[in-house]
Amino acid sequence: MSKLSIEAKVGVFVVIGMIILGYMSMRIGKLGFKMDKGYDVNVYFDSASGLEEDVSVEIAGVEVGRVRKILLENGKALVILRIDSNVKLRKDVKASIRSRGILGDKYVVLVQGSTAAHLIEPDGRIISAVSTTDLDSLMNVLGEVAKNISELTRSFANVMGGEQGEASLRSIVDSMKSVAETLDRTVQENNEELIKIIANLSEFSATINEISSKINKGEGSIGRLIKEEYTVEKLNGTLTSLQKITEKINRGEGSIGKLINDEETVENIDSALTSINDYMQKQESFRTYLDYKGEYLFDSNEVKSYLTLRIQPREDKYYLLQVIDDPEGVESETDITTTTNGVTTTEHIEKNKKNEIKFSAQIAKRYYDLGLRGGIFESTGGFAFDYYLFKDRLTLSVEAFDFDSDSNAHLKFKADFTPFKHLYITSGFDDFISDEGNESFFIGAGINFLDEDIKTLLSNLPLY
Amino acid sequence: MTRFLEFAGRPFVFFIEECGSILLLLLSTISWMFRPPFRFRVIFKQMEFVGVNSVGVVLITGAFTGMVLALQTYHGFRMFGGEGLVGATVALSMTRELGPVFTALMVTGRVGSAMAAELGTMKVTEQIDALNTMSVSPIQYLVMPRIIAAILMLPVLTIISDFVGIVGGYFVGVNLLKINSGIFMAKIIDIVELDDIFNGLVKAAFFGLILSLVGCYKGIYTIGGAEGVGRATTQSVVLSSILIFISDYFLTAVMF
Repeated sequence: MSKLSIEAKVGVFVVIGMIILGYMSMRIGKLGFKMDKGYDVNVYFDSASGLEEDVSVEIAGVEVGRVRKILLENGKALVILRIDSNVKLRKDVKASIRSRGILGDKYVVLVQGSTAAHLIEPDGRIISAVSTTDLDSLMNVLGEVAKNISELTRSFANVMGGEQGEASLRSIVDSMKSVAETLDRTVQENNEELIKIIANLSEFSATINEISSKINKGEGSIGRLIKEEYTVEKLNGTLTSLQKITEKINRGEGSIGKLINDEETVENIDSALTSINDYMQKQESFRTYLDYKGEYLFDSNEVKSYLTLRIQPREDKYYLLQVIDDPEGVESETDITTTTNGVTTTEHIEKNKKNEIKFSAQIAKRYYDLGLRGGIFESTGGFAFDYYLFKDRLTLSVEAFDFDSDSNAHLKFKADFTPFKHLYITSGFDDFISDEGNESFFIGAGINFLDEDIKTLLSNLPLY
Repeated sequence: MTRFLEFAGRPFVFFIEECGSILLLLLSTISWMFRPPFRFRVIFKQMEFVGVNSVGVVLITGAFTGMVLALQTYHGFRMFGGEGLVGATVALSMTRELGPVFTALMVTGRVGSAMAAELGTMKVTEQIDALNTMSVSPIQYLVMPRIIAAILMLPVLTIISDFVGIVGGYFVGVNLLKINSGIFMAKIIDIVELDDIFNGLVKAAFFGLILSLVGCYKGIYTIGGAEGVGRATTQSVVLSSILIFISDYFLTAVMF
């Protein structure tokens, strides 16, 4: 049997490790990716005690989202829920905080209302929210109830207890007995009177019966009103014309009908609202950053400076405009062909203009932790990969550009670390397969900040 | 008085010196990393030594760590009826802590000591000086491949150890202690996050750097014949283990 090569052994080993890692990540991370999609809904609770971010939101025991954020607003707990986009919530949905298991982990339960109610818009609000009575407050209430009951029984005991109480109880029973006896005697004595009253009542009911039968036959004014054909016809006519009007409106005839029934009108209003909404959202999520950084190149003992404008219309997308002051300068090549006395000579001139300004213009898109960039890098075409780690505090990037046919491509590896807001450190290895001896370590620092002024300027330009 | 100060101060100065030279070794290793010639074959050979050949040790320690963890936590959790959490406890401990640390310690014992002994022997038999005369950088030829191999291989060993540990815990919990398998898995999936696994792997890479750097450092600065080689080997294992535990605390404090 031929022996496996070292490379093959290491390769098999690493592949096995990768497969295990992939399997574990898929099993565990199944819900992790789902979080990002969906829409936000706000709920105000009197108390969000024990509720944590990222716990589940359930309807009928099925997880439909997660708690994204818990904030304090006007003395109430504002809980932002991220709901799965294929779950539609109605306006009358009820939210409550429940606890589960022996350790009492809190989670949010939604109870759907009737299917007739309107849907909740993204970033809308759930009106009906019930905070749970946690065990402490429940105990407080129970304690008060127990105190009241004990007071009640004590006063009862005071009244009823002892010989005096017994005597008064007996006298109550005695007087009740005498009342019953008196009642009995009265009924027996006035037996005839009672019979007379009952007879009167029966006569009265007979009279009412007679009146109602008269009305029924159409006799008397009330009877005529009800029985007369003419009145009924008139009423009928009124109702018919009312029906005609509503039908007309319904069919979309007349101005009111048109306004209500025309699909186009509705769509127009709807789209107008949507586009206003879109515009506002775009404005809101639109960010522009200004960034300056300097890199000290070890091999040439010089500083390369970058001034960057980053326009970020969405979380996962941005445009980059960059001005670079590079001590290596810009290289240009020209071939000059001269013909003297029939002999053609071609002169190849390479010029290296020191301290020339270079430009970059790139578009970037981000998928989870991986970013892709492409466009102009230092005045030549190229592309780059970024990998974001530790909540974007650390960024690893590989850039490849300047694919000139007669020299190696310019490759650059760098790591950006942001220990504080606005301030970052960068370090890496520039042009490491250079065939002109330009490879160099570099270390540098930069500042970046959100610039609201440029944002206002840009978003008021008719760009979209 | 001066003799006393000298006596008290020497270990301190020695300690500072040692820290400094380890750091210098690291810096020069990094700078040699990007200079040709690139000897990938040497790196692969070290990767085989550090990674592939350590699998057996890591499998056994990982599996038994997970098993004993399941056994121990089961009795604790049973007191208040929380047996279902055994799986999550095993998985969380393995991925965050025990997987990286135990793997690093086993590899220190197996590989770190071998590095110190190998380089130490080369030093005392003047092979390293011979390399220098042939204008081959011993740092590039000997140290750099070992450090790269350890940094790359430790995370792979750790993920294997994590997996085997959880499987071992599953075996003990479900097959021997009769915990419901559905609850066992559901709790793991519910409680363990992707970050737990990845932070454990970052730790492991860092431990790989520590153990290979210390092993190489102790080897390259060996003095005093065969006895010196023995001393260097012992010191490298002790120092690596201590540094792994100390840095583990600080890495955990930063990451979680």
